[in-house]
Amino acid sequence: MNAVGRFALLAGLTLLALRPAAAEQLVVALSTDHVKISSSFTGTGVTVFGAIERDAATISRGGVYDVVVVVRGPDETLVTRRKERVAGIWLNRDARTYLDMPSFYAVHSSRPLDEIAPKEALMRYQIGFDNLTFRAREGRPQPGDEAFSEAFVRLKREAGLYRDAPYGVTFPGASVFQTTIDVPANVPVGTYRVSVFLFRDNAMLAASNAAFGIAKTGFEQFTFDLARRNGYFYGLICIALALLTGWLAGVLFRRD
Amino acid sequence: MQIYLPIAELPVNMFLIFGMGAAVGFLSGLFGVGGGFLLTPLLIFSGISPAVAVASTTAQVVASSFSASLTYWRRKLIDFKLAGVLVVAGIVGSTIGVGIFTLLRRTGQLDLIISICYVTFLGLVGGLMLWESIRSIINTRRGRPAPLRRPGQHGWIHGLPFKMRFKRSKLYVSIVPILAIGIGIGILGSMLGIGGGFILVPALIYILRVPTSIVVGTSLIQMIGTMAVATLLQSGNNHSVDGVLALILMVGGVIGAQFGARLGARVGGEQLRAMLALLVLAVGIRFLVNLVSTPDELFSLATLAGDAR
Repeated sequence: MNAVGRFALLAGLTLLALRPAAAEQLVVALSTDHVKISSSFTGTGVTVFGAIERDAATISRGGVYDVVVVVRGPDETLVTRRKERVAGIWLNRDARTYLDMPSFYAVHSSRPLDEIAPKEALMRYQIGFDNLTFRAREGRPQPGDEAFSEAFVRLKREAGLYRDAPYGVTFPGASVFQTTIDVPANVPVGTYRVSVFLFRDNAMLAASNAAFGIAKTGFEQFTFDLARRNGYFYGLICIALALLTGWLAGVLFRRD
Repeated sequence: MQIYLPIAELPVNMFLIFGMGAAVGFLSGLFGVGGGFLLTPLLIFSGISPAVAVASTTAQVVASSFSASLTYWRRKLIDFKLAGVLVVAGIVGSTIGVGIFTLLRRTGQLDLIISICYVTFLGLVGGLMLWESIRSIINTRRGRPAPLRRPGQHGWIHGLPFKMRFKRSKLYVSIVPILAIGIGIGILGSMLGIGGGFILVPALIYILRVPTSIVVGTSLIQMIGTMAVATLLQSGNNHSVDGVLALILMVGGVIGAQFGARLGARVGGEQLRAMLALLVLAVGIRFLVNLVSTPDELFSLATLAGDAR
């Protein structure tokens, strides 16, 4: 490399370093803070709105913005089991216990993920099903681990709890975007973290976080809490209810 | 109409569940059985986790047994002393059963054991019942009288110690087989979400020789006691009783049972038994097919406590 070339490279790097840390900024808003689960709950949608703000100093560059929206439900530890045939009968044999996996995971993007960012970046921020970190309680990796983690994602997707939409983020304006995350009826309750990432030319420019809660309400909340905290008392209520129903029926339909 | 079940944590069609309760109630009224052995599998096959299905049906059995027992109580067709001994044994059994249930959930083998138990007991009982009723139908056709119970016919069961007198049933038998039956039914009932009437009634008739007029009312009392305790323990240990689900099933069940009982009064007893036997066998075979056929999905997800996800 000659001297001129070396100088040009140095100048380029310096320029890169001098660039303001947050030239682009993300502003994110959600359509709701709280999703309430009542007796008529059959699922809902949460819309994520956002705007890309540029300060005056930022040079307008070519290329298009890419936005990735990731929604993670509360973590849970799940056992993935595999059935095997033993003496003609299918039974659960081998298992992997994955610690702190998102109970719900949705990734919406403006383009397919592999076109937006390199694998390393996606892995660092756990963007995309393939880039989730699987920590097995069993410890060291074993042969055949992949079958279990793949099955985990497949089952979660079938349950509607892991979802992706490679073109789900749309731009109604040049720097305004939106996407709607479908929340199915079987979602676990808890805090849902929304992370929005802004990419351009394979590089991450900005990120922003938001959150919303999903909670049972009214009767559902009351019943669930009672069953969890005072299981025996709740059991007594169920027995009383059973006896009352039985007695009522016996009296109402008395035939002798 | 969709309704969200607070413990099962999923929405179900209320009318579908009500219809299942009513259909099973109809059959239980028709055949004079609890119907738990039909209801639990139906719920499992319709997507509710085995743990919630078993525990919620347990509560439903309390309601249907109590409703049915009122008639027997008014007609004084219950041996309360015998029922009392059975209930005590049943409570011991259901405590053991719920303990095993909790343990099996954690190790991920609950579904397997439930299936194996269903195959074994439904197959055995269904087969015996079918054989018995076909034989007696043939006997009746040929004009031969059904074999009567002869006094003084005692098996080894009656040679056991700790005898107790049960005036209402006109029995003087050892309490050892009674306790054994009660504990066995308690374990099975709480694990499988069944009252166990289809096992208990034949056991009381054939092993203890309880008069047939007394046996149904007495076994209903045993079921109420045992299943009430099982409901309490399932709720306290596993938090898996869904009150909303159970209530819909109860209401459907007790209404269906009324119509079933009315039809049952018009159909011959032997034909009824043969039909019940076929039904029991069919459910058993359904579970067997599930066990041996290659599943579409080999993998499954569950929490550490054993809740299916």
